[in-house]
Amino acid sequence: MRSGYTSAMTVPGVPVEAGGRAYGPRALDLFAQFFRREATTRYLGSVTGLAWAIVHPIALLAVYHFVFTTIFRATGFAGASFLAFVAVALWPWLAAQEAIQRAAVSIPGYGGLIRKVAFPHEIVVYASVAATLALHFAGYVVVLAALRATGEPVHLIGLVLAIPLWAVMALAVTGIALVLAALQVFVRDVEHVLMPLLMILMYLTPILYPLSLVPGSLKPWVAANPFTWLVDRLRAALLDGRLAPEPGDLVALAVAVALFVAGRWMFRRLSPYFEDFV
Amino acid sequence: MTDALLQLEGVGKDYAKIESRGGRIALVWDLLCGRGASHAFTALDGVSLTMQPGQSLGVIGENGAGKSTLLKVVAGVIKPTRGRVAVRGRVGALLELGSGFHPEYTGAQNIDLAAALLGISAAELAEKRDAIVRFADLGEHLDDPIKHYSSGMVVRLGFAVATALQPDVLITDEVLAVGDESFQKKCMAWMERYLSEGGTLLLCSHSMYHVQKLCRHALWLHQGRVERYGPAIEVTQAYLAWHEEKSGNAAPRPELRTGEGPDVHRVKSLTLEPGEFIAMGRPLTVRGEAYSPDGRAPVVLVGIVRADGTPVYGVATDMDGVVPAKGSGDRYGFTLSLPSLALLPGKYAVRAHALDPEGVYLFDHVEVPLTVTGESRELGLVRLEHEWRDVVRK
Repeated sequence: MRSGYTSAMTVPGVPVEAGGRAYGPRALDLFAQFFRREATTRYLGSVTGLAWAIVHPIALLAVYHFVFTTIFRATGFAGASFLAFVAVALWPWLAAQEAIQRAAVSIPGYGGLIRKVAFPHEIVVYASVAATLALHFAGYVVVLAALRATGEPVHLIGLVLAIPLWAVMALAVTGIALVLAALQVFVRDVEHVLMPLLMILMYLTPILYPLSLVPGSLKPWVAANPFTWLVDRLRAALLDGRLAPEPGDLVALAVAVALFVAGRWMFRRLSPYFEDFV
Repeated sequence: MTDALLQLEGVGKDYAKIESRGGRIALVWDLLCGRGASHAFTALDGVSLTMQPGQSLGVIGENGAGKSTLLKVVAGVIKPTRGRVAVRGRVGALLELGSGFHPEYTGAQNIDLAAALLGISAAELAEKRDAIVRFADLGEHLDDPIKHYSSGMVVRLGFAVATALQPDVLITDEVLAVGDESFQKKCMAWMERYLSEGGTLLLCSHSMYHVQKLCRHALWLHQGRVERYGPAIEVTQAYLAWHEEKSGNAAPRPELRTGEGPDVHRVKSLTLEPGEFIAMGRPLTVRGEAYSPDGRAPVVLVGIVRADGTPVYGVATDMDGVVPAKGSGDRYGFTLSLPSLALLPGKYAVRAHALDPEGVYLFDHVEVPLTVTGESRELGLVRLEHEWRDVVRK
């Protein structure tokens, strides 16, 4: 018999630490399992699933290209074509949007486990966010390489900076997803509010237009959007080949860490009560 | 710290009661502020419990008594609202059907998932996979998705996984009820071996047979609180007796009714020797006094009823041609001796009635409780004399 292991899991008000139980689930193994489950059941479960994950953003890009260059005849995209200008920003946005939407409703899918097995529930959210972002990052690399191959001025070396930029985004997205996933368990309206909200946010972020086109009085507001920073930095790296870090990067990192810490705090406050609501 | 494997101190669990959509938002706010839910239903309250290594405890009680909640608290699935839980060692929990399986996964993939959930390393799993597959005995279905399994197959797999990791404490919640005869036997055999090798078991069951067979101790939960805790035989019998009482006379039990007026025959006192508790097969003596208003000896009827009011046996003085002996004043004493009480263990009551000398009018009725203790798996109310013939000793 084994002995000598103690788990203090029950001081009221103190969250259960993932590593608190000597014989609990192994967080990394569990993450790997859930990641695989998210990636396979979501995309490989349906026949066209994986293709759709790549086709959807490409189709969107094509539509935007048609509307903005053929109909509106928009110009002024920092030397690059509209296609490359939008593609660099559209993929991370769609990735973040999908990650948030999917993670927000991820907990009920694990209801069977949550009701019967003790494990840190936040791993579900981590796996859901990670699976979505990983897939879209792969699509991002493919599309950038394709654009480069067709002669667009894309600096593939910029991916060196794009990886940490995506990582900062992932941190912030995870924080937001944790809050929404926890709330969704109790208040089912979250997912319905989310869709229009994200749609509005997309148009308020300089994805389809450069920040320079925004009227002066509104510019500080649009610039204050953390996603504006991300889009700006990605374009600098991938379209201009500027890889030097900027002071604003630290602020963004701090914001992302704060979002993550706050989201995790809130999630851990609520997660002990999931069992009754999933 | 003690050596206890499992220690619960004043554990309680409240579930939030939600009346409206606004209530949900208010609940989230309460929880974020670190307060409990303001409208709550108490599923479990003030449960304290210690289990040493090698102990086996059966949790019994009605539906909704808090059994599953208690098991989930021990398994770490839910955090108690009050109190403290300390678990030293590895907990293997089989809560309900197919604990923690994903229906889309195959049996083999679910073994991997369960291993990750239970904290088994890949190396340890590789060692044990064969044993799990053998115990589950699923044949070629191992590579089919779980959703195509029968409930018995799911339980087999669940049991195989939960037992393969050699838990320090095994928690099972009514899983033995599923599965076919041969698998139940296999489970029972496994559990008996596990217990004999010093394993610790926390079992929740409606089957008193399983509890008595597998558990040395039992805990009876009633409306979230511990009603009784002690040796399994005692607690299960008390529980069964309580059930009989509940389904029997719902009316309040008649107490020592002293009829008013001087012209009524009454039983004045009734005592049992050695007392309310008596071991099966031991002698029981019923002693009492009756009152007669007219100077003539009354007829006394003494009977035994089960806790639910079912009569077991009754006999009156006039049936046997005797009369109570006159004592002081208007009192008439009687003593009924039963040399070896053949009642099976359980709860009963002894009743005495005083009748008029003609044995026609039943005036009074006094009842005292009687509990027969002992261990027996026989069925019914009494042990009839018997002898097996043309059989072979095991």
